[in-house]
Amino acid sequence: MKDREIDEILKQAARVPHDVDPALLDRVATSIGSSLRPVRPLPPTWVLAGGLVLICAGVALAGAARSGFYGIQRLSVLERALIFPTLGIFMGLAATTCVSEMIPGSRRRVAPGWLLGAGSLALLAVFAVLFRDYRTDHFVSQGLVCLTAGLLHAIPAALASWLLLRRGFAVNSVAAGLVAGTLAGLAGVTMLELHCANFQAPHVMLWHTAVMLVSAAAGALLAWLLRSRPSRALRS
Amino acid sequence: MNPASDLEMLMARYQQGDFAAATALIHRLSPLLHRFFVVQLASRRDADDLLQETWLRIHEVRHTYRAGEPVLPWLYAIARHIRVDHYRKAHRTGAREGRLEEGPEAAAPPSGSGRTTDLEALLAPLPESQREVIEMLKIAGMSLEEVARATSSSVGSVKQKAHRAYEKLRERLSGPGLSKGRAGGLS
Repeated sequence: MKDREIDEILKQAARVPHDVDPALLDRVATSIGSSLRPVRPLPPTWVLAGGLVLICAGVALAGAARSGFYGIQRLSVLERALIFPTLGIFMGLAATTCVSEMIPGSRRRVAPGWLLGAGSLALLAVFAVLFRDYRTDHFVSQGLVCLTAGLLHAIPAALASWLLLRRGFAVNSVAAGLVAGTLAGLAGVTMLELHCANFQAPHVMLWHTAVMLVSAAAGALLAWLLRSRPSRALRS
Repeated sequence: MNPASDLEMLMARYQQGDFAAATALIHRLSPLLHRFFVVQLASRRDADDLLQETWLRIHEVRHTYRAGEPVLPWLYAIARHIRVDHYRKAHRTGAREGRLEEGPEAAAPPSGSGRTTDLEALLAPLPESQREVIEMLKIAGMSLEEVARATSSSVGSVKQKAHRAYEKLRERLSGPGLSKGRAGGLS
């Protein structure tokens, strides 16, 4: 049997009218009509994505300004030229994906999981190429300080992003949580690159990249917990 | 006027608070949505509930539709969300009741009374993800790109699902139990 024949069978089946109870439609129309008022559509994607990038860059800059720009001062021109554009590209991608996740039926250019994987690998590759000091002095103690500082900056970035996108509607809340966490984590990593002057390769590769991974996991977990929470109606 | 731009215009008027546009959308789109739910093996009664719930959610989030964008992917993305949410809640309630009753009836799927029309019978053996892709492509008349938007996936993935669904349908329609004549009967 050819595809065309299957097409024809499906078309014929689809032609059979599918009636819905008119009383049900009237009920729906009445309940909608009672609260019908004009609404303001969401702004275009580029406006929202631009807003998200500004929020994350702002949080990273404010954090580094408060703690000191020791990292960027010690970075060479090449290191700056590789690290910050990479962060910028992934921040832009994460912001666009985040907006897509909050608008039903949007074109999805990048899957949230792919974005997290590609972002982590890109950062690891850039750090591996640039930093050749393989000592591990105070690896855990300094690492935990950086991880905590990065995550503490991811939180305000996530909250401000949520404020910007609160009118959106995520049809897949876990994917939205994952990408929002990735974006907030990138704000934390950017702050660390501006601030942290520890250029030991193991430190930067593990603890700085971990900020994005932990933040993304926390975003997805939080979204999953909120989704799994039984609704009031179900509990009663 | 082409039906797609007509829908876009009605959506824009609905966002501006036009009741006539809202009613027109409800009457035009409800049969599509109801069929979508029925094809996903819901009973007619479940489909009625899901349809109501979908319209209430559409009403709540109508500001997320943006002028110039296709209406159907936006609508189906919300409908899918409602369906998945409904199954999740049903599963949770079922598991809870199952723990209480431990009886085989508690785990029985919802009755399919009044849902076995030709199209549903034809698509019933397909896995859910393939069934929804075929429903959107062939019944709702959406493009590959629009189905990809509605299902938050890529065009390649939609093509693959449609291809697999066609293979299964071909197998079923050419199988010993279902001759071509019977296939015609299904249609």
